[in-house]
Amino acid sequence: MTRSVKALAVIAAVFIMFIACKGPVESTQLLVNTDDCTGCGECMKVCPYNAIEIIDGDAVINPSLCHFCYRCVEECPEGAIY
Amino acid sequence: MRTSIFLFVLLLPALTLAVSVDGWMDVQTGGDSLSPQMGRLDLGGLLKGGSWGLVVHQRFSHEDSTGVVPRILNSYSRTDVDFAIEVGPVSINPDVCWTVDIGDKKPEIVLPLQAGVANRDGFIRPGLGIEADVSEDIHLFARGLYWNRDLRQEDDYDLAWTETRISGGLTWDSPWGPSLTVAGLNHRTSSDFINYEATWSRIDASVAVQPQLLPANMFVSGDVTYSVYDGSDFNDHTIADRLTSRVRLVQMVIPSVSVNTTFESVIDFDEGVTRSACTLAESRIVYRFMRSNDIASSIVIFGKLSRSSIRTERVGIFSRTNLYRGLSILFDAEARVTPTSVAGAGPDRKRYVFGPGLEYQFGNTARIWGIVEQERTNLATNQNWWRLRAGLEFYPGSFNF
Repeated sequence: MTRSVKALAVIAAVFIMFIACKGPVESTQLLVNTDDCTGCGECMKVCPYNAIEIIDGDAVINPSLCHFCYRCVEECPEGAIY
Repeated sequence: MRTSIFLFVLLLPALTLAVSVDGWMDVQTGGDSLSPQMGRLDLGGLLKGGSWGLVVHQRFSHEDSTGVVPRILNSYSRTDVDFAIEVGPVSINPDVCWTVDIGDKKPEIVLPLQAGVANRDGFIRPGLGIEADVSEDIHLFARGLYWNRDLRQEDDYDLAWTETRISGGLTWDSPWGPSLTVAGLNHRTSSDFINYEATWSRIDASVAVQPQLLPANMFVSGDVTYSVYDGSDFNDHTIADRLTSRVRLVQMVIPSVSVNTTFESVIDFDEGVTRSACTLAESRIVYRFMRSNDIASSIVIFGKLSRSSIRTERVGIFSRTNLYRGLSILFDAEARVTPTSVAGAGPDRKRYVFGPGLEYQFGNTARIWGIVEQERTNLATNQNWWRLRAGLEFYPGSFNF
């Protein structure tokens, strides 16, 4: 139990540090968190540039076609694209 | 011809052994004051023999579009046919997937090179994957995919849009614990009609670790991947090389409470400039109670924060409380911040969704559920609407022959 509390305290501390940090301002590619992606295809459906495909159950973004319109980010029900 | 007969004779014993059949169905429907018709039907089947398997998955999806939040008007059908066969240490996986846009109005696709827009009718994508265990700790994999997309301009000209994706690599599970992966990928997109061609490639080197000496009920995994890109984005800007690192922690605090946390950091190396591309923290706490009932009750609290060129935030709670036999009461609430494409709405869209629901589970065979949600979206003006979602999942079980 003590170990668990320590582990959680470390996690909480890192989390608070993360919140306190300012985020980066630029990115050249969106990320897909494959742990959270369910392959539902909503992102593929709304992408106006044909830049997203579902491969092996995960969304895959084509970096040469993505125009950073962020519609996939807005639409993804799992919040798996960022 | 002789080769085909030889292969058929070789594979015949594997194909004629005992076979099991599985099937499943998932229907989801919903409607709200903005979009009165949303629906999805998934049908699937699995035919499995000793060393082979055939999966067929069919999806019909329909979504209407009205109101403030633009939803793409789309009805489409998607079929996936996936065959896998194991011959000794080698696994061969040919598959084919095709979609057909079946709505009255086809979705519009913005073409590169300022070539205007085209209507999407669907695509067909055959693929072939091969994996092999060369030894106990070395695993090889390769995959080839080819898309032939049916994109037509207003005057019905076919854009002859094709894509080819070839990837492969190897994984070595080292005796010291970490596993190392080296992989390569090449993706080519071309459209003869608009003289468009773009090729990009990537080489990944990654290390994954799962420490074994940890406190009881604790699981930690981490991976670091360095990706070298060759190619450019839509703006003709070189795609930056990328270092991605991720740590996952799973801790069972007490038998009924588990915590799952992920940290991710991404650094881009962009033409001599090194910059943080993304940081993410995500956590999920699951509390299970009344576990002696037919259906275990649970409360899931989750939160996620990401900072890249955009910010996303998500926090929510989902609960299932079993009332009697298979009957449970559901509740979900979620708050989200994402960028938005709604004109004039500012950089972010804030959403607050909450609502109760009911669910009945018929053992492992079927599940029927319905949930009534209210959504408040903070755009140029605040918008509120009600939404009803419902679904039926059906799994009749396996049949063996």
